[in-house]
Amino acid sequence: MASQADYKDRQFLAVIGDEDSVTGLLLAGIGHVTAPPDNQKNFLVVDSKTDNAAIEAAFERFTTERKDIGIVLINQHIADRIRYRIDTYTQAFPTVLEIPSKDHPYDPEKDSVLRRVRRLFGE
Amino acid sequence: MEGLLFNVNNGYIEGIVRGYRNGLLTGTNYTNMTQCESIDDLKLQLGPAYGDFLASLPPNPSTSSLAAKATDKLVSEFRYVRANAVGSLATFMDYVTYGYMIDNVALLITGTLHERDTRELLERCHPLGLFETMPVLCVATNIEELYNSVLIETPLAPYFKGSLSHQDLDELNIEIVRNTLYKNYLEDFYNFVNTHPDMVGTPTAEVMSEILEFEADRRAINITLNSFGTELSKADRKKLYPSFGQLYPEGTLMLSRADDFEGVRLAVEGVADYKNFFEAAGLGGGPGGPGNMAGGSGGAEGRSLEDMFYQKEMEISKGAFTRQFTYAIVYAWVKLREQEIRNITWIAECIAQNQKERINNYISVF
Amino acid sequence: MSGAADREAVFPTRQSLGIMKAKLKGAETGHSLLKRKSEALTKRFREITRRIDEAKRKMGRVMQIASLSLAEVTYAVGGNIGYQIQESAKSARFRIRAKQENVSGVLLPAFESYQTEGNNDFAMTGLGKGGQQVQRCRETYARAVEALVELASLQTAFVILDEVIKVVNRRVNAIEHVIIPRTENTIKYINSELDELDREEFYRLKKVANKKQRDTAEEDAQMKAKKEQQQKELSALAEGNEENEAPKAAPEDDGPADILAAEEDEDVIF
Repeated sequence: MASQADYKDRQFLAVIGDEDSVTGLLLAGIGHVTAPPDNQKNFLVVDSKTDNAAIEAAFERFTTERKDIGIVLINQHIADRIRYRIDTYTQAFPTVLEIPSKDHPYDPEKDSVLRRVRRLFGE
Repeated sequence: MEGLLFNVNNGYIEGIVRGYRNGLLTGTNYTNMTQCESIDDLKLQLGPAYGDFLASLPPNPSTSSLAAKATDKLVSEFRYVRANAVGSLATFMDYVTYGYMIDNVALLITGTLHERDTRELLERCHPLGLFETMPVLCVATNIEELYNSVLIETPLAPYFKGSLSHQDLDELNIEIVRNTLYKNYLEDFYNFVNTHPDMVGTPTAEVMSEILEFEADRRAINITLNSFGTELSKADRKKLYPSFGQLYPEGTLMLSRADDFEGVRLAVEGVADYKNFFEAAGLGGGPGGPGNMAGGSGGAEGRSLEDMFYQKEMEISKGAFTRQFTYAIVYAWVKLREQEIRNITWIAECIAQNQKERINNYISVF
Repeated sequence: MSGAADREAVFPTRQSLGIMKAKLKGAETGHSLLKRKSEALTKRFREITRRIDEAKRKMGRVMQIASLSLAEVTYAVGGNIGYQIQESAKSARFRIRAKQENVSGVLLPAFESYQTEGNNDFAMTGLGKGGQQVQRCRETYARAVEALVELASLQTAFVILDEVIKVVNRRVNAIEHVIIPRTENTIKYINSELDELDREEFYRLKKVANKKQRDTAEEDAQMKAKKEQQQKELSALAEGNEENEAPKAAPEDDGPADILAAEEDEDVIF
């Protein structure tokens, strides 16, 4: 279970998404680049050319390595590409939230959390 | 008088462009498009106008790829016209592309500043603003090199020279750089159409002056409105106003002193059109400070100032076709086509996001 | 149930019987408490799952509105601003902080969003064209992100509660199906062992009593025989009346001693 210290300094959101989603979320002001020299961004733009390994690496970085991220937003169609990683991710922190993207409407059937919800209700 | 020799060089172009203009989507087309249930339906509706270009799209394409294909059509037509243009018309058409070039160069500057691989940026550039020597700019690794290559390799050099140094590129916000360039570009273009021997006293000068003056005013007003609440000082802001247009000089002087929406409204009072726009927008939006129109879940209430500016621009462009023997129709056609692409994208977007209530926010003048 | 094999390794003594009885009582109290906790958590959990379900559906809608406002920006600016936005992002204006909520002893974190002041990376975006749309889009997206943050809180609560409920239920089940039966078994075992001992003891005492009875009977018989012999002698002598009394007193002394021992035995039995 999460201890107090575990999430106290988690104050950023991170996003893995297509260009439009990332742009929108950055406009909302969630974008953050850590101080030099490492200059780590808390967002990743994924297009058809981005390979799954890069997505996974970013996911890994946001969920395990960085301790200042509280919520990871990921486009559902991108989550699908690394579905097994998302499904096996059970930590409470940071929270992984699947969000719809502009070109891919939201499908509740695929959401790993919603699926758990459904299973619990026995549907 | 200008009719005597115009067709010797430019008659063919004029014919072609007028043909293109007739190919623009009309109100009926738009009405049909708004009835569509899916992007595929929309694609079908666009078939007659865009057939070849949309053919390669997958079923239910994304709105951005739809927009990209529609732009492709404009680009290929523009290139065709450009290839057939000679003399001063060719120069005129080059001028049309400089506006896009400014955006592209601004993009490259952003990339270089952040030490990104600028080659990747080339495909993000607006195709109309591409120029042959553009890849050369990508070689630059720091901002000084880039500055020098821009001066040497691009037609934009005059716009940099005198107003921007390479340190400025580093220090100033890219938006200021972009708007400075654009101001210089507008002034140069205005000067060009009013002094070139082929155009002085012809309908070209007349129509283009009207269009460019409007563009200059629009930019001045927008910059003023958008700078409220930012670090842009009034003195710096004043430097971004083009030095011509209906508002120039009294209006722009007043704009440079404006602190709020009300100040801007007073400044533009002298021009009937803008006064009306502001009244319409003032009633609907309840403005004040930066990001006026912020109310509600996204301005469903009436039209924004930008919308009215676009509308006005389209009307001027449409008006340009009532004149004969003028280069201005090329410019007007490009603008109309751009608006058409925006309309298509908007409608596609509304369909894709299932937001039909705002689908009629497109601007159609035919 | 595996019967006698499933019990604790204790000596079947009265003391451990007492301990076991206390343990059973404790387990039963703990069970009912945990059961109640689990029910409270489950109630909360169901509420949260229902809200997640709703919120996820709502999110689709919110994000659509937000996307449309981004489309509006693209429309107004007349180009894609994505790259510029990505490059000019420096410091997060929109941040979150976590606070806690206590549900039946479980600390549930909840995210709360806040915006830092005077920190605007995109003030200049769309200066010449579309700036108002950009600002509006920022607000729309900020609202959307707020909704997302709320959803994320729910989801975190969901994950944690899920975990906690599992643990609690496991405990409840462990108590119900393992600890209580085992303690009961142990008690039963101790009782049966003690009973067995008692029975043995009882039997032994009975045996002892029997033997004593037999012994007494024998003695009596001997005594009787002696008496008869004496009587015979007396009758034979016809003048030893005083002597006759003394031996008669001796068997009467033995009798009370016997009874005393028997009483002691009875005490042991009960």
